[in-house]
Amino acid sequence: MSALAAREVVAGYEPGLPIVKGASLSVAGGEIVALLGPNGAGKSTLAKAMAGLVPVASGAVLLQGSDITAVPAHLRLKRGLGFVPQTENVFANLTVRENLELAASLAGLDRRAAREEMFGFFPDLARLARLEAGRLSGGQRQMLAVARALLAKPAALMLDEPSAGLSPRYVAEVFAMLARVRQAGVAILLVEQNVKAALELADRAVVLVDGTVRLDEPARPLLGDPRLPALFLGAREHA
Amino acid sequence: MLQLVADGLIVGSVVSLGAVGLTLTYSLLRFANFGHGELLTWGAYLTLAFLGLLLAGAEMAPIGPFSFGWPLLAALMLALPATAAIALAVDWALFRRLARHGNAITLVIASFGAALALRNLVQFIWGTLPEYYTREIQIAIRLVPRDVLGGLRITPDQLLVLALTAAVVVLLHLFLSYSTLGRAMRATAMNPALARLAGADVAKVARATWVIGAALACIAGVFAGLTGQIRPMMGFDLLLPLFAAAILGGIGNVWGAVIGGLIVGLAESFTVPLLGAEYRAAGSFAVLIAILLIRPTGLFGARA
Repeated sequence: MSALAAREVVAGYEPGLPIVKGASLSVAGGEIVALLGPNGAGKSTLAKAMAGLVPVASGAVLLQGSDITAVPAHLRLKRGLGFVPQTENVFANLTVRENLELAASLAGLDRRAAREEMFGFFPDLARLARLEAGRLSGGQRQMLAVARALLAKPAALMLDEPSAGLSPRYVAEVFAMLARVRQAGVAILLVEQNVKAALELADRAVVLVDGTVRLDEPARPLLGDPRLPALFLGAREHA
Repeated sequence: MLQLVADGLIVGSVVSLGAVGLTLTYSLLRFANFGHGELLTWGAYLTLAFLGLLLAGAEMAPIGPFSFGWPLLAALMLALPATAAIALAVDWALFRRLARHGNAITLVIASFGAALALRNLVQFIWGTLPEYYTREIQIAIRLVPRDVLGGLRITPDQLLVLALTAAVVVLLHLFLSYSTLGRAMRATAMNPALARLAGADVAKVARATWVIGAALACIAGVFAGLTGQIRPMMGFDLLLPLFAAAILGGIGNVWGAVIGGLIVGLAESFTVPLLGAEYRAAGSFAVLIAILLIRPTGLFGARA
């Protein structure tokens, strides 16, 4: 049984105008699946729909076998699904500590214990505990956003382009962090534009083109596979 | 001089409490609620109504040097949830429905309508003549002799208003800084979508914001009634100073609204001897314009 799955999901911002047109994918515990595709393919929309932020017109989102399609977004973290958006993924007006403690309290956890556990996992955050999150660097923000999503010990974690806007050094740091999270048995769905870095890290890759899944294969062999640029360029020419 | 400062701080206390509620609802619900002043009026009148019920025609025995007794505090405790219920009812009947289909301008215009309806309802129920919580005459205490900066006289009620305002603001600060709901309110104000992902029930947070904003407005209305008169227009008259204070402090910033309220109160107070009482509002707006020209986001507002 997969930890996280989408089954024939149709989703979009406006009724009758789907951006995701019947996409299916699954992620097992301790596995990283890279969700790739050209701009406008619907990658972020699919992730947001799975997180409960975009309405799902049809299909289902499954978390450890349970259908969570109708579960409100604010209850999904407690149910075991964390999501880290691409931008504005920390509360800039709250300190690092407050960011973590708020998520812990809302999940019904002992906020001090949960915070200290995350500080143990991400020692850099402990050093920055009293700093307002708005003053963190891009890499530190990603670290905090991931820590906040991991507080409730989710079975699955989705990240929307965590490398966007980061320098190569920070991208390497963030991806190393994700490798450690995978070792903890968490299922990770990684939406990425940085195809090479994502394929090097991921176990499997799903390529989405125009809202539908066109490829779902082991990641590493896709490095240098001519089908990948063809799918990306094809979409561009088609557009 | 000292007297003007004290008078300004007393007016500023009422404005501060009202402006904090206004700034909280603005930051979470993303629209300027022109009906907020009416919550002050309703808070003041509901307290008066509950006081009447509690006293049932009997005289109110004052507490120590103050002009009022325990029944007024009991009436305030009853009026707090009642004022919050009015705010929630208006939100349920009007703002929440319009927010689904309309934009911020629709909500602002609707809040004008709600203000008119609420004000006229007060006039219909209680009439237009001024009311008082107590007819006790208070003698002002001389705190500073006349030869020191003009001296300072202040009534015990006014001192209590200053002390209670400080206490309410400190309690609110502790609530927003350390409680889960307070932090969720700050988080939702910053980023509602992310707040949902972090586990906050945004609708519940919005309801809590209405309750807290209305409770603060109720307290401000009672303070205004205690240090002056209870009138149907009291909230409307305070509306522009409330907005001035919220904008001056940086919209969305609680401490900014408090400081903004005190500055507005002081500006009004100092305008009276300089230009006359009829220009007191102009004084506070001159200060507002001057500060916004130097710092467009207000004193404590975040830069874009």
